[in-house]
Amino acid sequence: MRKWLPWIALGIVVVVALAVVVWPRGAQSPAARAHTLETELKCPECEGLAVADSNAPTSRAIRADVKQRIAEGQSDDEIRQAYVERYGEEILLQPKGSGISLLVWVLPVVVLVVGAFGIGFVLARNRRAPMLHASEADEQLVERAREQQQ
Amino acid sequence: MKHPARWIAGAVGLVVVAFGVVLALNVGTDPGNGVKTSPLQNKAAPAFDLPTLDGTRITDADLQGKWTVINFWNTWCVPCQQELPELKKFVKAHAGDDTVQTVGIVRDPQEPKAVIAKYAKATGMDWTLALDPGSKAALDFATRGQPETFLVAPNGEVLVYFYGPVTQRVLDQALAAAGGPTS
Amino acid sequence: MRAALGYGAVAFGAAASVVGITALLLGLQVRDPMMLRLGRRCMYVVLLAALFAAGVMESALLSHDFSIRYVAENSAIATPRLFLVTGLWAALEGSILLWAVILGGYLSFVAFKFRKRGHDPLVVAACITGLVVSLFFFALMLGPANPFRTLSTVPLDGNGPNPLLQNNVLMAFHPPILYLGYVGFTVPFMFGIGALVTGRFSEGWLEDTRRATLFAWGFLTVGIILGAWWSYEVLGWGGFWAWDPVENASLLPWLTGTAFIHSVIVQERRGMLRVWNLSLVIATFSLTILGTFLTRSGVIDSVHAFSKSDIGPWLLTFLFVIMATGIGLVFWRGDALRSPGKIDSAVSRESAFLANNLLFSALAFVVLLGTVFPLIAEALRGNQISVGEPYFDRMATPIGLALLFLMAAAPALPWRATSGEVLRKRMLVPAWIGGLTMLVTVLLGARGLAEVLAYGLGAFATAGIVRQFYLGARGRKRALGESPTVALGRATRSNPRLYGGLVVHLGVVMIAVVLAASSAYGANREVHLAKGQSAEVGGYTLTYLGSFETRSAQKNSTHARIRITKGGSNLGVYTPSISTFPNSSDGIGTPSVRTGVVDDVYLTLVSGADDTGRVTIGIRINTMIVWLWLGGAVMAIGTIMAIAPRLRRKPRDVVDPAGPDGVTDAPAAPAAPAEVAAGAHAGGEPGGSEARVEA
Repeated sequence: MRKWLPWIALGIVVVVALAVVVWPRGAQSPAARAHTLETELKCPECEGLAVADSNAPTSRAIRADVKQRIAEGQSDDEIRQAYVERYGEEILLQPKGSGISLLVWVLPVVVLVVGAFGIGFVLARNRRAPMLHASEADEQLVERAREQQQ
Repeated sequence: MKHPARWIAGAVGLVVVAFGVVLALNVGTDPGNGVKTSPLQNKAAPAFDLPTLDGTRITDADLQGKWTVINFWNTWCVPCQQELPELKKFVKAHAGDDTVQTVGIVRDPQEPKAVIAKYAKATGMDWTLALDPGSKAALDFATRGQPETFLVAPNGEVLVYFYGPVTQRVLDQALAAAGGPTS
Repeated sequence: MRAALGYGAVAFGAAASVVGITALLLGLQVRDPMMLRLGRRCMYVVLLAALFAAGVMESALLSHDFSIRYVAENSAIATPRLFLVTGLWAALEGSILLWAVILGGYLSFVAFKFRKRGHDPLVVAACITGLVVSLFFFALMLGPANPFRTLSTVPLDGNGPNPLLQNNVLMAFHPPILYLGYVGFTVPFMFGIGALVTGRFSEGWLEDTRRATLFAWGFLTVGIILGAWWSYEVLGWGGFWAWDPVENASLLPWLTGTAFIHSVIVQERRGMLRVWNLSLVIATFSLTILGTFLTRSGVIDSVHAFSKSDIGPWLLTFLFVIMATGIGLVFWRGDALRSPGKIDSAVSRESAFLANNLLFSALAFVVLLGTVFPLIAEALRGNQISVGEPYFDRMATPIGLALLFLMAAAPALPWRATSGEVLRKRMLVPAWIGGLTMLVTVLLGARGLAEVLAYGLGAFATAGIVRQFYLGARGRKRALGESPTVALGRATRSNPRLYGGLVVHLGVVMIAVVLAASSAYGANREVHLAKGQSAEVGGYTLTYLGSFETRSAQKNSTHARIRITKGGSNLGVYTPSISTFPNSSDGIGTPSVRTGVVDDVYLTLVSGADDTGRVTIGIRINTMIVWLWLGGAVMAIGTIMAIAPRLRRKPRDVVDPAGPDGVTDAPAAPAAPAEVAAGAHAGGEPGGSEARVEA
């Protein structure tokens, strides 16, 4: 038990540090909320840039509009929904978690889980079946070697 | 136990084939041309209240009772310059008709009023030209660039949306198809 | 005239490829060394043909030969000489020509390196594969991507290059460096296919291509970092990575390529993970072709995308041929690919590498899925959806952190199996350093989960790396009595693969820390300033001094002069600008960046002086960005170290019976792959008895 002590102590230090980080801290400031939304909305007239990164006129207008909506008290989801209604689902840079877009979130997780299970399975199977007995191929190999010796 | 190489190869092969079909379907289509329809199609034109070049204001209330062509443009956009003669012909052809009006909205909030006025005078744009400070109208109309043109019915409903330069004929056809006056 | 010469050279290259393939096939069948030699010679001819064609194109560009369409579309009389030269790779057709040149170079390298093994079926099969690839690219240039198409009416002046491509000297470096990486992965692919075809899929093909693979990987890494730098310094949107489809296209082969260069260590050491390695090398090469397809076929919208052309179906077909061949060969060989060894324990170096493979593959899957998902969604449902930065950041961050953890822990894990005692000795102190670093950063105010974890894992990894270097030097010092610096130098050079790799990991830590730090929201503001007015952002004071214009035949620019001061001391005057080019109406902004050790002040000119003489300046304070570029340089240095030949032991050195790396738990020996085994068939590398082979 004593030999695990330094590891346990380390674990505690790490958990404490992480706990401080993830401790809920109250609502985000309006500026931070605006910024997050701006990174999630695509600039309609650019090619792939987010509203947060673009200086096109529409982006600036959207930034001002988002700021106003937050001031009016709309929630993040309401603002996103308003823009989807206006521009279609492609305005969202982060695909929704519903409909066909769900696939893009779920598939990687599935791949990772299946892969991890696959590896775990291979490791467990190796452990369970130690090669204590020679296989037939091995026996034949030895026979042939013996014959060659004679 | 046998190595699962065959299974893995088979599974991967299937996925690759499916993926390839998707790609093959898309080759030859231009994503930029995608679905250039407006979400405002068959909905009421959004509210707006903009200053015009000659000092008055224009609002969505002014759309009521008339067939309106709303054209988003600016002075430096090349396709806008290309469609300008066509717009002029359209406006001229319906000049005597009170039920048809054309409104141009400048889709560049940075452009100084004097520059726009000078350009409009030089090119003979003799219809209502509105400015869009803060790009609010550009946003409300879900525009992505310029030129973009909307045909609005007398009841305020957006009937037709054009992405890119328009011609007089196209506008007249749309107007006629919607039951509006011919030129 | 030129067009005919150029096209002729391309046709010659294609013909040489065909002759080479035929000669090699025949030579192998009838075992005729003359035929085989002819086939090999054709590989040199391919390079010469490509070089000639490229030379013709450069001469056309430099002499403004606008009868050739490519020259007319990508250069103008006013274009500066440098951008005439870089015009060779400025657009689609030229980029294929560049690809052919570099491929010719790699093929010649293979032909030369293996000239003494020309009869070896593995080498022959590899060369045939390489020539098939070159045939494809030359065929592209004979068909849809013909760079030497002529115009019936010769224009007086050309269109000029895309403004974004004549803004910065990086245009001369980024594409060729990226291609040296991209195309270089053809070499391990060739040998992987050769191995599958000839049935010799144990370790030989890996060792044959080790250095070429690392060389390609190093260039791809530098190419990607240069691309990020270009994005940051030149494009002006303030970031360095946007998960844009073209950026992803370069990242995908890097991800599987990195998995590959690590996974081969396991195969060299213990003969395992054969299917993984073959799959990874096939995947890497396929991804280079897929990336080329995505960026040139017009299938995906992107800031970077080349103009649409007919090249799409060709690339797609070729991609299918490659994947079908690769998957088919693996399928055919099936069970014969099984490795003799097994993984004994879940906590071992082999398992760590296996987990590494899985994580990199998963990350590649995420990036690929996100990039093509808009296409899939449209095909399946007709929906237009976007997948952008928020998605990629969210998915890539946990995987990246897991990889960082592996990078820190795996070099200290022994092969086969371990005990708690060994783990404690090797990992406890570095792990504690990581944990304490986390605590300290939290106390100093860091509040992002990923951010804090990155700092901690980065410290863990760095401590482990430092420990390795220290033990290596100390072992030599004790055994051979060398002074510390000499010991360090010699230890490093006697096992370049290990220490080079560790240096690369150090570079990765630097980059990971920057990515973590920059994910925290930095200051970002737009200000309107009249002449003489100042603004305060992030502790810096910025004063607008005035504007001036420059005009040249190539472009007109408006520059704004901004003085930056901090705490009273003048940090200099910086001039962001907007330029317009004669043949395009867009204004291209050029940022001006004050690079500091801790943060950068990033200035953009949003709009020039308006009616009241006020300008709009965009100001961003970006944290620690310079460490990204430094980290990239460190990775490059590490790669060079890893490719460098080993320091040969001089016969008169005293050999310590416990091994060259000291008596106590010597990490260098277990960490190094069995150079002895590798040395047997490496090109001229007597491994000797230097590395203690672990039983």
